[in-house]
Amino acid sequence: MNAAQHILETFRTHGIDTVFGYPGGCIMPLYDALVESDVRHVLCRHEQACALAAGGYARASGQTGVCIATSGPGATNLVTGVADAHRDSIPLIVITGQVASGMIGTDAFQETDVLGMALGVVKHSYLVTNPDDIPDVMAEAFELAQSGRPGPVWIDVPKDVLLNPVTTPTASGDAPSGDAEQTPTDVSGILSRLRQAERPLLYSGGGIRLAGAETAFRRFASASGLPGVVTLHGTGNPGRGCPDNLGMLGMHGSRAANEAVEACDLLLVAGARLDDRATGHLDGFAPNAGVIHLDTDRAEHHKLRTADLASDAPLAPTLDALADALEARPLNIEHWRQHCRDRAKTAGFRAATNHEPLAPITGPAFVRQLSETLPPEATVACDVGQHQMWVAQYYDFDHPRRHLTSGGLGTMGFGLPAAMGAQFARPDQPVVNVTGDGSFMMNAQELATIRRYRLPVKIIVMDNQCLGMVRQQQELFYESRESQIDLDDNPDFAALARAFDIPALHIRRADQMRRGIEALLAFDGPMLLHVAIDRQENVWPIVRPGAANRDMMDAHNHHADKETLA
Amino acid sequence: MTEFGHQHRFHCIMQDEPAAMERLCQVVRVRGFRLEALAMGRDAGRLTLAFTATGQRSPAMLQSQLEKLISVESVTCAPPESARQTA
Ligand SMILES: Cc1ncc(C[n+]2csc(CCOP(=O)(O)OP(=O)(O)O)c2C)c(N)n1
Ligand SMILES: [Mg+2]
Repeated sequence: MNAAQHILETFRTHGIDTVFGYPGGCIMPLYDALVESDVRHVLCRHEQACALAAGGYARASGQTGVCIATSGPGATNLVTGVADAHRDSIPLIVITGQVASGMIGTDAFQETDVLGMALGVVKHSYLVTNPDDIPDVMAEAFELAQSGRPGPVWIDVPKDVLLNPVTTPTASGDAPSGDAEQTPTDVSGILSRLRQAERPLLYSGGGIRLAGAETAFRRFASASGLPGVVTLHGTGNPGRGCPDNLGMLGMHGSRAANEAVEACDLLLVAGARLDDRATGHLDGFAPNAGVIHLDTDRAEHHKLRTADLASDAPLAPTLDALADALEARPLNIEHWRQHCRDRAKTAGFRAATNHEPLAPITGPAFVRQLSETLPPEATVACDVGQHQMWVAQYYDFDHPRRHLTSGGLGTMGFGLPAAMGAQFARPDQPVVNVTGDGSFMMNAQELATIRRYRLPVKIIVMDNQCLGMVRQQQELFYESRESQIDLDDNPDFAALARAFDIPALHIRRADQMRRGIEALLAFDGPMLLHVAIDRQENVWPIVRPGAANRDMMDAHNHHADKETLA
Repeated sequence: MTEFGHQHRFHCIMQDEPAAMERLCQVVRVRGFRLEALAMGRDAGRLTLAFTATGQRSPAMLQSQLEKLISVESVTCAPPESARQTA
């Protein structure tokens, strides 16, 4: 067995049935081995999409995603997708061919220093120089990608190494575990702080789903009765219709969520890293609260905000232990809990329902309709921009893995390939890509992949004929000096889809929303829904970048805000 | 140089792999520190590094970021040698 065949064999032994890649010179030995392999290889139309699709597959399933490319331009094209996985702690195995060992360092055709280039966007990486190292490297890579805080692991393999036989066919079995030794959690410190607090608040993020702690989280939330705010990756942690969920906090967070963070006297942070989009200016973040920080990555503790108590213990047993104790002896926070429930109703995300059937479609109303029409098991993969924020605000996710969104990197072009990956991972469940007219064009070539594999991905283009998120910030923070955001010469998106043999619908009025979404769902196969929305629409509330979250601006007060600044 | 703040001494043991030094240097730089001096030895599959770095952020923070590198086996940080004043 040569090294290329061995790599494919490792995919199989790790339960990977689908990989995403694009061939080329230095990776050809692996593509040659693929001819006899039963690994399903998905040919995307751009390496960036391979990496993002592998990420979507991993996000939707919890399994490790795999992407493959050739040296040079293949590898450089992967970088954005790998960085996206790195920033969101998504387990990925990245395989690239490299020029032959003897050619490295000679500026050979399609040579790039992949190991050096990728250092800042991987959890770990290898340049394999000996085919006999392949079994150990592959075993270690799969272990590292998933263990502790997950992330991408990049394996660069010179062409000659791929072709050479592996004489040590099995891994030596001593792949180091990335997990630090975990001592059982002592929850007494957390409990006593919870019992002392009058206004405790739960702040949860993407770490809940990464730790597989979804069930324990809900048990704890219900046993404690804590009101909760969620980060972009935490949407879905509380489950659909949870009355104690105040919604997303931060720059585009709800008034109820940001106010609760301001008012609380204890913040229990679970599976979150206190990202600046969520916290706003740190001086104004939870100014009255002690902080308990539960996160598996110790480097996150005290990084941005000093915690009174921090633990890297596994989340699920910790939350379960807390739930046990609180079920036996509940907290006494009824007054605060009721206050937050009331605020969630009056200052949470409520889409203004459009009673005027001929009125134009607004982002919030459309997303609310989508949330009400799609089944809870549907996966929604977003792109980046205003439409992404409306989904985070107004879509009531039932599970955190149903919401795929590029949080840390904010990668336009993420949505379509991520939806493809999710559809491969969940072939029998609906997968919807909610995209913007700008983002869609960043990976529109993937319509060809959707067509080829007959993936029933539903694509919703929320078309405001501009880079809306940038336009909004130019309006609010740059005196309405619009610069390079106009997309009014967009292609005819429906015609574009049809060119790939994907049917399309177009809607523009409020009374067409429900039927449009239903038609999309009913269709057996991929379909595109083009939704015309107003160019001037903004996402509210918004906190000026760098400001404290208490300084939320909304549709009614932002003009006043501009005057005070002037 | 003084605006870089306190000087800290670190001692680090890493697995000897091709990009080990680059990983270490990159983390030091990205996390807001500047390398001032560095000594490295290679022995039996391990790299032993002693370095000083200046920075305004907490050395414990740099230490925990270095510990996250898969190639790093251990890092220790000595107490600050001098708290330099801006001239
Ligand atoms: C690859 C990339 N380039 C640039 C940006 C900066 N950016 C953030 S949102 C945005 C506009 C997105 O436009 P669109 O997809 O139409 O969404 P909208 O905001 O209009 O809903 C831009 C340019 C980015 N996030 N990603
Ligand atoms: Mg747009």
